[in-house]
Amino acid sequence: MFKKLLFATTASPVCDNAAKVAFDLEMKWEAKLLILHVMGVPGRSFSLQFTDVRTGQHEDINPDYVEWVKEEMNNTYGKLLEDSNASIVTAIGDPYREILRLARKEDVDMIIMGAHAREEDVGATKHRSVAGSTMRKVAKAARCAVVVVNRPCTTCWRLFSNIVVGTDFSKASFSAFLWAFKLAREVGAKLHIFNAIDITAEGLTLPAGQTTIEQRIKEARRRIEQTYIPKLQGYDKYSMEVWEGIPYVEILKFARDRQADLIVMAHHTREIDPEEAELGSTVEQVVLRAACPVASVTHPDKVADLV
Amino acid sequence: MNTITLKSDGAIAQADAMVSADPLMFLGHKVELGQDYTLRSFFKMVDHYPVFAKLSAFLPECLQQYRTCPDSECLAPGVGHLELYKTVEMTGFPGEPRLDIYHTLCGVGGEDTCEIKAFPLENLLDMPVRIGKLKHVVFGDKVDALEFDTIFNLFEFIEGIVWQLSFHRSPKECALRR
Repeated sequence: MFKKLLFATTASPVCDNAAKVAFDLEMKWEAKLLILHVMGVPGRSFSLQFTDVRTGQHEDINPDYVEWVKEEMNNTYGKLLEDSNASIVTAIGDPYREILRLARKEDVDMIIMGAHAREEDVGATKHRSVAGSTMRKVAKAARCAVVVVNRPCTTCWRLFSNIVVGTDFSKASFSAFLWAFKLAREVGAKLHIFNAIDITAEGLTLPAGQTTIEQRIKEARRRIEQTYIPKLQGYDKYSMEVWEGIPYVEILKFARDRQADLIVMAHHTREIDPEEAELGSTVEQVVLRAACPVASVTHPDKVADLV
Repeated sequence: MNTITLKSDGAIAQADAMVSADPLMFLGHKVELGQDYTLRSFFKMVDHYPVFAKLSAFLPECLQQYRTCPDSECLAPGVGHLELYKTVEMTGFPGEPRLDIYHTLCGVGGEDTCEIKAFPLENLLDMPVRIGKLKHVVFGDKVDALEFDTIFNLFEFIEGIVWQLSFHRSPKECALRR
């Protein structure tokens, strides 16, 4: 299922958890792993300097510097690289553009990255953008799955037992569902199809009554049965669940309840123009709080065989 | 400033009189912590004044977890107490310069502070809770942050703790051992 993987890293400790997952996947799937580090944004015109994206300092572009960066990365991932055939790639440019460029050029099956480029205080995430801007932009535009690893991942992918896919019945969610199914079938995991009825979406009107909520739950279950279940092609390790509440709170609760090893969601959770889509607040909140990795799948490219 | 004391049994006291109803009017009051105040006292307070559970979307779930925890000995190894502190942080890069004010609940063991995100609630409930200082971080220099005495009001206290607890979702065991 995964022949080529791209691990985008700042080569700092915040990417360590993602690194372990990336190298683990490489081993388990005998995939080709590309490790990409984007050094900085180039200066204007013919400038021979670039601005380091993390420190803001100006650095000279020269082969020695590139070699030094590669050497540093070799040291950082020394132990993990011992049993690996991964290639280290560096680039200069906007990090998200370079990640997407390499992913497209190499036609990778999955991008793996951390949620932030730097260590964030938990309290600070309330005011600042919750997830890193690079992660958001990559997840929005990538044609393949983007797996965000924010906590130590204790389970090998091949041993996943429970995969939760959150859906809002959008086209993008359908791709996420197909990808989750493909993975669940491959590793023999149970697939939990989950929908959260957003009862806060009524705006300033009165909250929905019990009867309305129950009707909506019934309708959501019917849609799952009609749209998703036939696509499982007889795969019987699945469950479907519809809860009501605030979507990201409910997904997190559900994932904890089912001891999920992976949460799969679409990047933008409404039927909107992808160009205008910001990382849906649901995904953003889930990424940071989930105990397991979160995969964002928006495009059908890598699941075309299941459509 | 109006001050309230949060007792270890979950009660709120103002000038030695217990607050019995309408605790919301005390949200702006300065908080002092009574003797032997632990994280369990915090949950006892929310049990005592259920209206506080509506202050955060995560509090009902935290309460559910709290109710399944053992009645005692919920301690985190290597952590002496939990401290809630306030940070005023100026950031110059990347992006536009900005200033954020936020609260953090962390563990303190000896001289060092540590992240407590990795501990499940059942390892934290009986940890003493203390109110810390205000740290002023200038342009990302967290090493030389300036520290000041400050106060916390009841809303900041509740919100700060619950925000932190909403990140506590580490699995107790990996699926390999399930």
